[in-house]
Amino acid sequence: MLTREQAQKLSEKILAFSKFPDCAVTISESEEAFIRFANNGVTTSGFTNTRRFVISSTRDQKTGTSLTNDLDDASLKAAVARSEELSAVSPPNQEYVEPISPQKYADVSNWDEETSRARSPILVPQVKAVIDAASSKGLVAAGLFNRTAEISSIANKRGNFGYERGTDAGLSTTVRAADGSSSGWSSHPAVRIREIKGVDLAERALEKCLKWKKPLRLEPGKYTVVLEPKAVGDLMEWLAFGFSARSAEEGRSFLSKKGGGTQLGEKMFPAMVTLRSAADDRRFPTSLWSQGGLPQRANTWIQKGVVNSLAYDRYWAMKSGKEPSGGVGHLVLEGTSASLADLIKATERGLLVTRFWYIRSVNPQTVQLTGLTRDGLFLIENGEVTQPVVNFRFNESPVRLLQNITRIGTPQRVAGGEGQDMIAPAVQASNFTFSSISDAV
Amino acid sequence: MISRRLFLGASSAAVAAELFGAGTDNKSPNPALEKLAAAALREAKKLKTTYCDIRINRYHDQNVGIRLSPERGTGKTLEVPNVNDTESFGFGVRVIVDGAWGFAASPIVTPEEIVRMTGEAVTVARANANITKQRVILAPVKAYKDRWTSPFERNPFDVPIAEKLELLREAAGETKKNRRVFNSFGSLNFHSEDKYFASSEGSSIQQLIVQSFAILNATAVDVSKGLSKSRMYVPPPLSIGYEFVPQMNLKENAQRIREEVLEHLAAPPAKPGKKDLVLMPSHLFLTIHESIGHSTELDRALGYEANYAGTSFLTLDKLGKERIGTPIVNIYGDRTTEKGLATAAYDDDGVKTSRFPIIENGIFTHYQTIRDQAHLINEKESRGCCYADSWSSVPFQRMPNVSLEPGKAETTLEDLISGVDDGILIEGRGSYSIDQQRYNFQFGGDAFWEIKGGKKTGMLSQVAYQSRTTDFWQTCDSIANRSYWQMYGTSRDGKGEPVQINAVSHGCSPARFRQVNVIQTD
Repeated sequence: MLTREQAQKLSEKILAFSKFPDCAVTISESEEAFIRFANNGVTTSGFTNTRRFVISSTRDQKTGTSLTNDLDDASLKAAVARSEELSAVSPPNQEYVEPISPQKYADVSNWDEETSRARSPILVPQVKAVIDAASSKGLVAAGLFNRTAEISSIANKRGNFGYERGTDAGLSTTVRAADGSSSGWSSHPAVRIREIKGVDLAERALEKCLKWKKPLRLEPGKYTVVLEPKAVGDLMEWLAFGFSARSAEEGRSFLSKKGGGTQLGEKMFPAMVTLRSAADDRRFPTSLWSQGGLPQRANTWIQKGVVNSLAYDRYWAMKSGKEPSGGVGHLVLEGTSASLADLIKATERGLLVTRFWYIRSVNPQTVQLTGLTRDGLFLIENGEVTQPVVNFRFNESPVRLLQNITRIGTPQRVAGGEGQDMIAPAVQASNFTFSSISDAV
Repeated sequence: MISRRLFLGASSAAVAAELFGAGTDNKSPNPALEKLAAAALREAKKLKTTYCDIRINRYHDQNVGIRLSPERGTGKTLEVPNVNDTESFGFGVRVIVDGAWGFAASPIVTPEEIVRMTGEAVTVARANANITKQRVILAPVKAYKDRWTSPFERNPFDVPIAEKLELLREAAGETKKNRRVFNSFGSLNFHSEDKYFASSEGSSIQQLIVQSFAILNATAVDVSKGLSKSRMYVPPPLSIGYEFVPQMNLKENAQRIREEVLEHLAAPPAKPGKKDLVLMPSHLFLTIHESIGHSTELDRALGYEANYAGTSFLTLDKLGKERIGTPIVNIYGDRTTEKGLATAAYDDDGVKTSRFPIIENGIFTHYQTIRDQAHLINEKESRGCCYADSWSSVPFQRMPNVSLEPGKAETTLEDLISGVDDGILIEGRGSYSIDQQRYNFQFGGDAFWEIKGGKKTGMLSQVAYQSRTTDFWQTCDSIANRSYWQMYGTSRDGKGEPVQINAVSHGCSPARFRQVNVIQTD
């Protein structure tokens, strides 16, 4: 993969092909190795290399963008020319913002050499550990173990240049009874592959699968819930759009006030709720800039229950006389030292949710979502997990979830399946709405 | 014939253009592609694989869009265009060694890199063989030498961008003419796949697929009530050329959604309860996709998707027995349907595509299959459902076009509506969600009209319906005739790990469902 120097040299070469006043180049290269398994055996797996050159040319506020994965001079020249052709016929962007000037990016790299080189000798034993654990109990495992090594660079004619490289890996498994009567799930994302242990992961998934026998059929309705970290992460990303200052001011967000204005500064949530963006958290893969090339910034969106800040893209910031904030990504929902067991112990009657599935927006404004519980729903009675429960569909908003939070656990990174990559704790919350029963296992 | 310069420093774009340009005739694959593929097949033989295929693919996507939004503070309408054009070119090699699959892919399309990556694929397969219990068995397939192009009259990539922008500006502007419409958006998207497939079993297949998509959207906001609603116009996305764009009537439909978004904003919420539903093709296609399309995928039934997309309530013991719907429900898979998004002459296993029944007279009769699955249900051949979304993706089982047969010749849409005392007519796609075994689903829509006393009346808002797949299809009591049959589809159906997307069409006529549970959403 391209080094910093190679990426810079290549960017300069591409920019030199440009005839327009402004041109921006994003280069990304990725190498991925993965093993997919099911029915206690490997199904598909592979080793892939990809790369992309995204070129945007601008003149008179008119921008055209082309993308190619061809590295040779003639192809890159053609891609620059194509972006210029597109720009020439495009109307002016009336929300145009000048290209960014040279920025200073953090000189950090969340890169792990072992992860970047990991192939079958490292991947196969962990997959085998999961399969062996499932087989030994007469269960059936499916899952994915993958690792990526990526580089990315941005450059423009105003002299800005940034380069980042990072690694990431993740192992997840669903363990099912051979007759399909129960299911358990677990996953572990990590920047450093050596932290991922198939044995530990299998143990957690197996435990859920073995416990989920003869589930109770409860009536749909409002329940106190204990959501495991993954279930919390599945829901939180849907809040992101609502923090946009633009959508809040324009009356399209949960942070819009009836009659006009926003909820900025209002205490909408319990004091235990603090939600922030922290791209520099070492548990996340490297990310030095946000959209538009601005250096990543730490933002606290909800501070001790109060709506603390709104997200401004560069255009809306310019129109509002504010500083651009960057996007609402790399979320961290702050927690406590309480364990999941502590939350369960503190629950008189409620439902323990492992994760959610097929989450879709029902009303973008209230952030009402629908989706289903999956791979481990259990009843908690008097502080103990007592019985498995048949899965439910929910119709609920993460806004109401945060408003109804009663306890928070210890945050950890969650990724994969539904939801964006984030650092989330388990939470206990009241009045979570389940609307119908799902017989899916 | 490919020129020598292609391997001596010519640009990759030029190589791709020459490889996928017209050959000596239009019925045979370009010999230059065959020559490149031979490098993989030779190397695979040398490395003692029992099977090898290579796909050399080029993808071209173009997106042209216009958004009209009010300026902060002044309310003046500002125009925000979006014009981009992307290409991707590379190859992927698949091998079987010791009964296990291996795959490797690269964007460097040279004989040397093809040989190197064939070796990488073999390395992957050998490592997998150690923990692979079930050896891969491929259903037999004939060796084909063919070249096929999806039918189109005007290549959308040859149409000037300015023409596309003008059309969109006019349509988006038409929608925004009423100042109560907060913002509007229109886009045209075009996709092409130049695909070449060669296998160690003798096939050499070149295909070109061209697809066209459009969308118009209008949003209205009532700040005093804290409400925001939208209305979309989505013409059927099809494998078709630019000749379809004028037929979309973007301007006329822009005027229609301008009025309907305001009606939607003022519409009363639905009263929850059991109601009869009349579902239009622009909506019903997605219900077919989610409840029938995915539940009848054999890889799901076998557990291959257990960790992500899920399994299926249609387990192997239900094949040929399970009642899914009323006897009027006949659903089939078909990758030969003209203009379908999943339509191709051959799948990514090199299998000739076909039409096959899935639900016959309400009974589940066939799964969607690929070559390495057929023997698992004692079938002798694949049903041609193999697809990879990129040269860098592993081919696996993906949904063909799955469509509902029309109803009796005499049944009209008016008949469906007139037979409803208290119900809702639903158009367009909205929120949709279904469990991992495809039992329980909840669907919204883009627009809802109340039906009272057999007549379609005013619009409703905040509507969704919940049901169970088999319960739902067993309430289907009438389907309109063939003259109403339309194909809608989706271009971003996700499945697999790492996730891949698939474009697929679903044809149907409007259909009526009795006493379905309607809920009132936020």
